[in-house]
Amino acid sequence: MSAQLWALAVVGAVVLAAAGLETLRSRRARRLTSGATAAPSGQPYVIYFTGDSCTVCKTHQEPALSKLDGVRVDKVDAVADRALADRFHVYTLPTTVVMAADGRTMHVNYGYAPAPKLERQLAEARGAALRSAATA
Amino acid sequence: MSTPQSIVDHSALKVNQTGIVATVLVAFLGSVAWRPLLVLIPLLAVVLLLGTFVPRLALFKQLYFQVLKPRGIVKPRPVQDRPEPHNFAQGLGGVFLAVASVFLIPLPVVGLALALLVAVLAFVNLAFGYCLGCQIFFQLERRGFIRA
Repeated sequence: MSAQLWALAVVGAVVLAAAGLETLRSRRARRLTSGATAAPSGQPYVIYFTGDSCTVCKTHQEPALSKLDGVRVDKVDAVADRALADRFHVYTLPTTVVMAADGRTMHVNYGYAPAPKLERQLAEARGAALRSAATA
Repeated sequence: MSTPQSIVDHSALKVNQTGIVATVLVAFLGSVAWRPLLVLIPLLAVVLLLGTFVPRLALFKQLYFQVLKPRGIVKPRPVQDRPEPHNFAQGLGGVFLAVASVFLIPLPVVGLALALLVAVLAFVNLAFGYCLGCQIFFQLERRGFIRA
């Protein structure tokens, strides 16, 4: 029994460490890519990293993105456009990046991001734009 | 980059993942009371590795195609997709279970932890659609180690 408990503890620690690393990686990417985007827009927009081998992109992410009404989605093949993928530290697909209208990186989502989450992040990006306009 | 795509029945993948999770759980929990059940782990490694290299010998997928699908127990879910990342992920799971099997006798904690990790990843794929093996395939392909 003790071997099973120890194994459970080891796997639990690995899962927790992976979750922690994921959070750190997301924060780091957001900080490093702040202000480092290609094409600013009048409205917040989404950069969507995908690839041929990404199934979740087709079955989950693309339907979620199609629910975002009137939001510009820049689809990027992470294999073909490696430089841009590296800039956002894309290590998994799908990855979605919510960009503010002024080109700031607001959120980096590694893995599938459901539509409500993206909508919330886009709303936050719109709010940030309004705040910066008010203080300017 | 554009690769010609084929149709992959995702229900077969789900049945495969369910089989992996169930087998490891039976071995893990059952071995508390009856240690010989640990033999399921090397057996599962063989099943996964065989299924990777000889798809018609993939036990859980055959269960789906021969029994569950014809009887309407599990509905097919064809998706335009590439089978290679999924096969790679299955093979990787098989390799991890093979390594786990080696450790089961001398270092049972390591063996059990590796087997449980495979089950956790299969569950994550089953429940949330996140396939770590597919991501590793993608990274290797991106760096040119794998050519599809």
